[in-house]
Amino acid sequence: MVSKKGKAAQKANTEILRRTLSLMIVCGILAFIVLGVHLYKIQIRDHDYYEQRAIEQQLRETTINASRGTIYDRNMKILAMSASVETVFISPAELRMYNEDPEFISRGLSEILGVDYDSLMKKWEDTHSWYKTVAVKIEKDLADEVRAFKNEHNIKSIHLEVDTKRYYPYSSLAAHIIGFVGTDNTGLYGIEAGYEDLLKGTSGRIIRATTSNGTDMLYTKFENYIDAKDGNNAILTIDANIQYYLEKHLQQAIDDYAIRNGGMGIVMKIKTGEILAMATLENFDLNNYQEISEEAKERLKGLTGDEYLKGLAQAQINQWRNRAISDTYEPGSTFKIFTLAIALEEGLVNDNSTFFCGGTIDVIGRDTPIHCWKYGGHGSQNLAEAVQHSCNVAFVNIGLKIGAETFYEYMEALGFFDKTEIDLIGEGSSLWWDRGIFTNPKNLSQLAAASFGQTFNITPLQLITAVSAVANDGKLMRPYVVSKVVDSDGNVIKANEPKVVRQVISEETSRKVCEILETVVDGGASTGRNAYVAGYRIGGKTATSEKVGQGADDDYIVSFVGIAPTDDPEIAVLILLDSPDPSTGIYISGGIMAAPAVGRVFADVLTYLGVKTVYKDEELATINVTVPNVKNMGVEEAKAELQKDKNFTVRVVGNGDTVTDQVPAANATVTKGTEVIIYAGEPKPNVMVTVPNLYGKTYVQAKSALEAAGLYIRTAGVAASTTSDTIVVSAQSITQGSEVPFGTVVEVTLFESDTSLMETRG
Amino acid sequence: MARYEEFYEKVLAEEARERAEGSVHERPAGRGSMDMPFLLLTLLLLGIGLIMVLSASFARAYFETGDPTRIFVRQALFSVAGVCFMLLLSRFNINLIRRFSIPLLAVSLLLLAVVPFIGAESGGARRWIDLGFTTFQPSEIVKLTIILSFAAMACKYKGKMKTFRYGVLPFAFILVVTVALLMLEPHISAAIIIIAIGAVMMFIGGTKLQWFILGGIIVAAAGFLVLTKFDYAVERITIWRDPFSDPQGDGFQIIQSLYAIGSGGLLGVGLGQSRQKYLYLPEEHNDYIFSIVCEELGFIGALLILILFALLIIRGYWIAMHARDRYSTMITAGITSLLFLQVFLNVAVVTNLIPCTGISLPFFSYGGTALMIQLAEMGIILSVSRDIKIKKAG
Repeated sequence: MVSKKGKAAQKANTEILRRTLSLMIVCGILAFIVLGVHLYKIQIRDHDYYEQRAIEQQLRETTINASRGTIYDRNMKILAMSASVETVFISPAELRMYNEDPEFISRGLSEILGVDYDSLMKKWEDTHSWYKTVAVKIEKDLADEVRAFKNEHNIKSIHLEVDTKRYYPYSSLAAHIIGFVGTDNTGLYGIEAGYEDLLKGTSGRIIRATTSNGTDMLYTKFENYIDAKDGNNAILTIDANIQYYLEKHLQQAIDDYAIRNGGMGIVMKIKTGEILAMATLENFDLNNYQEISEEAKERLKGLTGDEYLKGLAQAQINQWRNRAISDTYEPGSTFKIFTLAIALEEGLVNDNSTFFCGGTIDVIGRDTPIHCWKYGGHGSQNLAEAVQHSCNVAFVNIGLKIGAETFYEYMEALGFFDKTEIDLIGEGSSLWWDRGIFTNPKNLSQLAAASFGQTFNITPLQLITAVSAVANDGKLMRPYVVSKVVDSDGNVIKANEPKVVRQVISEETSRKVCEILETVVDGGASTGRNAYVAGYRIGGKTATSEKVGQGADDDYIVSFVGIAPTDDPEIAVLILLDSPDPSTGIYISGGIMAAPAVGRVFADVLTYLGVKTVYKDEELATINVTVPNVKNMGVEEAKAELQKDKNFTVRVVGNGDTVTDQVPAANATVTKGTEVIIYAGEPKPNVMVTVPNLYGKTYVQAKSALEAAGLYIRTAGVAASTTSDTIVVSAQSITQGSEVPFGTVVEVTLFESDTSLMETRG
Repeated sequence: MARYEEFYEKVLAEEARERAEGSVHERPAGRGSMDMPFLLLTLLLLGIGLIMVLSASFARAYFETGDPTRIFVRQALFSVAGVCFMLLLSRFNINLIRRFSIPLLAVSLLLLAVVPFIGAESGGARRWIDLGFTTFQPSEIVKLTIILSFAAMACKYKGKMKTFRYGVLPFAFILVVTVALLMLEPHISAAIIIIAIGAVMMFIGGTKLQWFILGGIIVAAAGFLVLTKFDYAVERITIWRDPFSDPQGDGFQIIQSLYAIGSGGLLGVGLGQSRQKYLYLPEEHNDYIFSIVCEELGFIGALLILILFALLIIRGYWIAMHARDRYSTMITAGITSLLFLQVFLNVAVVTNLIPCTGISLPFFSYGGTALMIQLAEMGIILSVSRDIKIKKAG
């Protein structure tokens, strides 16, 4: 049936089917198995690897800054706080992507932010960058302007991000204690650095899936919030008011006595060890901590390049240094407080002990005798007098009685060998003789010098802490500046309680020392008279220390440490003035320079703390009283009001029944016993008078000079002995020669001018 | 093989008997119905593909035009038009175009020849002719005309296919000319497909196997030369072997594709939930749409789609084997093979199984004219399927 040709055709037909079938097997089955296996490798075997990498590129992490905690003073006044600010940055990569006009944007930004146009244009050149900072930490109103500019022109390459900025409302107040933060909001100095971990908080994160342009995906929202935890707040033991008083009086002393190297001061609460104030001057504005003082700038003048930068950095480091705790010095005569306390505690001296000072004393191990600061010596003195005179010879004698071993042990007990462990960073270490050298029986020169505070170095903080221990019934306290750390909900995270380190001397000795120290301020011929404040019981000790090996021969640190009230000591104040300029001619001595400053601090602080004033009879006669308002009163009624408590004497001018005017004006403060003129019908004479020169005059002389001119007097400073010849006016509130209205009150500062009382060294 | 041969002989005997009964060429219009499995598989894949175009494209469409459905709507319109065209073609007697095969080839080659001069330039190559409302690639048409003309030639030289003069030379000549024209654009991926499809047509047409071995050697040698001498090709090989050698540059696209596929895992991130489509993966709704399929539907979903493609291809060959005549067999097998090549090469490229080259995925990748042509090809197969004599039981 089938032809040959048909057979060939059939063969060809068989072949085409066979070949198609083989294609079906290869293309329809085998090839897809290959694909399936390959997909398995990617999707199942290597799934984790690819997913991880994909997620890495799809997720964007945004940091939510935690708000740094606030720093408060003890009365919850804000000393440091954080506020939201914004940082402006540009993205050259997006500029290119969206084809935006760099010139237009740069012009707009430089107009709003005041940044340099050319430097902005340069930033765009890095076209791969997504982040070029334009302005950091700008305030909200400025940021809003930038935002408005961005939105108005729909600019995609400008971005704003939230940041925080630290504000210090009191700018320079307590600068060294508070410290500051760097641009990254990390604490660099002071509490800001020391309490960094507690203050900083924990930043949160937003993790979200975005498109490759960083915008949100559509419909697929993936976001994960990790909340930021705000930093804790620190409440300090510092009282902003007391800090202000301390800085004010320290600054005044620096100005009055041409102090060349600044001053330091500490106010401590004796019973707890709390620091109420601590200052190092020159200080600086915490809001602008890199700015150096005018004097420092003057010194850098003429320097260029690296030298200038080095000089600038050194000046900054110097101004940031909390010298009250970091620097060490030879304390000098204030140290006699401890020699006195040790001797009393050991029963080696008593009120009846007498000490003869002939001007010098020989000490085993010394080739030359030790000189007392007073040429010719103090003669015979009892214990209190030896302290009042700050007699070196007497104290060498006392020290030798104590003996090196005992003295050295007390030094350790008073904490002079250890740091006080105050909760501030940068506390300095003292510098002392080794025990072996100090206690060498063949060489007592170290003991002799240490008896009046020489040949070793301690920090000002160590000194006031030990003085407080002596005044605090012998209990040495650990000083501290942070009382509490609380979280944002008010929970207490950390509390510093007063901590007794050890009992150093007995309560009895403590009371005795306080008693003697009071006589230093309130005694007849004492070195510390200028620290006296009428109405308060203040004790203290002066010191005038040479800066051994630290400068010129005539460089001194003058200081005064005081305690008050002496019957129940609450407050200790230490002031150091570094390097008074001898060219002023003012007698360089702690009693002349540091004591009045401490007295002024006490006057303000004790009044502020509401410590009750108790005036001596003689003080009552001349205390300052406030003139009441008697205007519009009947003449007799006004008289009675003014003569109450014998405050004022009264002179009536005119014949009217009603008071039409008064001199001095209502609310003026004047000395008790001042004559007040009331005008009844007669007009008050409207004349100008010239202020006389009062410098060097005694109170009585000054008062009559003022009265003669038709002016009134008010006193400040040593008001106790208004009758003493050596207590004279050191300053007047209105300079001589000024023309002032009749009846103006002039305040005079009185001080003990008898330099023969004041130690020069020791 | 013996068992298969037995089966073929039975089928062939049946066919021979039918032919003896009357001339197939003159058989009147009383044709059978379309092959339903093939039609349903086509529509199923087209439907899934359309959904995936929507999912893959909406992010880019939104970010670049503001209208997330812009790309999808266009593709949907072309799909509808394409399906109508497919059904229209399925009614058309395919043997009518047999005699126009060669002229059609000539016209398509002419188009191909003018593309380098009048075509729209993109990425340094001119492959598209802009018709105003849409663009199309003449190479897509050449693929079809090669199939049609080679089938016609193989039928004409039926008895002489084993000779070099008839079984190799004319075919090789056309291929060389076509490839040369494609190189002018240049368009390497189209050249590869056309060489492959030409070889498949010759293979089915009965060309001696030894020529394939020789051709294989020539192509391999030429390929080796290209891959080692041309920097462009060398770079592609380097990136293929280690995409991470240039993650931000040439390796970027394949890395992004692998991230998408790999993140899918077993079950995928869910339909519409792809993250890689958010402007990370370039061409996510064109050549790389399968990566998004893998990411969203996972290994299971991707495998199911591959199985649907495999079933469609197998059914295509089945239709070819059951076609009424040699010419129908050849064009059906040719079109099926073309479909296979596109699917295989596309998936292989996006999974980095082979070096990167631009080949779209049939029914899935966005592209109006390509879709129209693919559906037209399916229409041709459906037309062939209507002439299959369904054997009734008994």
